Amino acid sequence: MLHVAQILSYGILNGALYGLVALGLSLVFGVMNYLMVAHGGLIMLASYTTFWAFFYTRIDPFLFIVVVTPLFFVIGWILFKILFQSLMKFPEGEKIKNSLLISFGLLLIFSNLAILFWTADERAVTTVYTGKVVQVLGVRLPYIGLGGVALAIIVIIALHLFLTRTYFGKAIRAVSLDHEAATLMGINVNRVCLVAFSIGSALAGIPGVLTSLNAFNPAISFDLTNKALIVLILAGFGSIKGVLIGGLLLGAIEAGGVYLVGTPYREVFGLILFVLILMFRPQGLAGKKA
Amino acid sequence: MLKVEHLAVHYGDIQALWDISFRVEDREIVSLIGSNGAGKTTILKTISGILRPSKGSVSIDGIRSDAIPAHRIVEMGVILIPEGRRLFRDMTVLENLEMGGFIDRARKLKDQNLKWISEIFPVLSERLRQIAGTLSGGEQQMVAIARGLMSDPKWLLVDELSLGLAPLIVKNIYDTLEEINRSKEMAILVVEQNVRLALKIANRGYVIENGRITTEGSGSDLLNNKEIKNAYLAMG
Repeated sequence: MLHVAQILSYGILNGALYGLVALGLSLVFGVMNYLMVAHGGLIMLASYTTFWAFFYTRIDPFLFIVVVTPLFFVIGWILFKILFQSLMKFPEGEKIKNSLLISFGLLLIFSNLAILFWTADERAVTTVYTGKVVQVLGVRLPYIGLGGVALAIIVIIALHLFLTRTYFGKAIRAVSLDHEAATLMGINVNRVCLVAFSIGSALAGIPGVLTSLNAFNPAISFDLTNKALIVLILAGFGSIKGVLIGGLLLGAIEAGGVYLVGTPYREVFGLILFVLILMFRPQGLAGKKA
Repeated sequence: MLKVEHLAVHYGDIQALWDISFRVEDREIVSLIGSNGAGKTTILKTISGILRPSKGSVSIDGIRSDAIPAHRIVEMGVILIPEGRRLFRDMTVLENLEMGGFIDRARKLKDQNLKWISEIFPVLSERLRQIAGTLSGGEQQMVAIARGLMSDPKWLLVDELSLGLAPLIVKNIYDTLEEINRSKEMAILVVEQNVRLALKIANRGYVIENGRITTEGSGSDLLNNKEIKNAYLAMG
C-alpha cells in the first residue's frame, strides 16, 4: 500500500510539472489557434539558460525564474514578429497547419543547435537540496518536486487572475472567443496576440527551471512537447483551468503504468491515453462539444 | 457628420458595392433598407474598418477613415453592433460590457455608463454576473447594444438587430434606440430587413439594390413610396 502511495505521489509531482509544461502551449492555442509545438524546445533552452546561469553564479536556480521568464517573453516577442505574425490573416484551419509546420521546424532547429553548442550529454543543476526528501506518513517527497507543485499552483492562479481581473487579460479572452467582435470593440487584436504569444513563451521559462534540476539533454524538447500535447487533449484545447488537472491526471496515469508494467513503458501510457481520448472524447475531458 | 462617397467594395474578384454615397448627419437616424445580399452589411463593415474599399472614401467628422485600422475607428466615435450579436459568449455580461468600454476614453466613463445602461435596460443589471451565452435572445441583443454604448460613441451602427427575435421585443429595443437618439444626441445608422420598422424611426432612408443606392428620401416619404410598398412591404 505504501508502495502504491509512493508511486502515485511521484506521479502527482511529475503531473504538476506537465501542467506547467502545457500552460504556455494551451494559452497560445486558445487565443490564436497556433499549435506551437516548439514550446518543448523553448523549455529545453530555458533549462540550459538556467544551467549556465547557475554554473557561473551559483545562485539558487529557483531565483532565476525572475530572469528566465522575462528573457523568454522577449524571445517569444521576436519569434512572433519574425515568424508568426504573418499567419494572423489566415483562416483557422490554415493557422493550425502553418503554425504547426513553422514551429516543428523551430523545434528541430532548437534541439540541433543545443546539441551543437552543448553536446547531447545529460546535464543537471545540482543544488544543496537535490535528492533531499521529506517524509509524510512514510511517503518520500523530494523538495524539488514539491517546489514544482507549489510553482504550478502559483503560476496557474496568477495567470487565471490576470485573465479574469485585468482589462488586458479580459481582452485576451475576448480575442480568443471572437477576433472580429474584439476588433469592433476597439481591441488591437494583433497586439493582443503578440503579447499572448510572448506570455506563452515566457511560461516556458518556469518549467525550464524545474527540468534543469533533473537530468536533461537537448532531446527533452520532443518529450516535453509530447507531454504538453497530451495534457492539452486531456484538458480540452485552450482550456487554462483544465491544464493543471490534465497534467496531474497524466502524471498519475503514467505512475500507474510504471507500477503495473515497469519503467520502460512509462511514455506508452500517455500516448495510449492520447489516442483513446482523441477517439472517444475529442473535445477533451473537461471541454465542451464544439 | 459621417460621410460615404463613391464607395466600391470587392470580395476578392466579386464586386459587392458600386458607387455608394450617403451621409449621416449628427443626431440623425438613417436607415439602409434592401433585400438579403444587397450589400447593407458590407457598407457597415466598411465604415467600421473591417473591410477596405477599392474605390471611394469614408470620412468621420471630416477625417478620412477608410485606411485607419478597425480598432482605431472605435476611438473616432463609431461603433458597430454586429449582425448575430457576436457576444463574447463564455464571458459574463459585465465582462462583455467592459470589453465594449475597452478604449481609454471609455474606461474613464465605465461607472457612469454602467449606471446609464442599467436605466435603459433594467433587466441587464440583474444579470451582470451571468455568462452572456446563457441569456435569452432578446437579452443578448440588449447586451450587444449596451456593449456598443459602453464605448461612448457618437455614431451607432446597428446591423439587423431584429433577426430571430419576437416582434414585441424588437419593438421595445427600437423604442430604446429612439430614446437614446433623443437623450444622448447619438446618430444611428440602422440596417434592417424589417423595412416598416426601419423607416418608421428614420429621419431619412436609402434603398439599396444589388450593391447600388436606388432611392433615397425621408423616412415617411419612403414609407409611402409605391414601389417600396410593392417590393418590401407586400401591400400593393
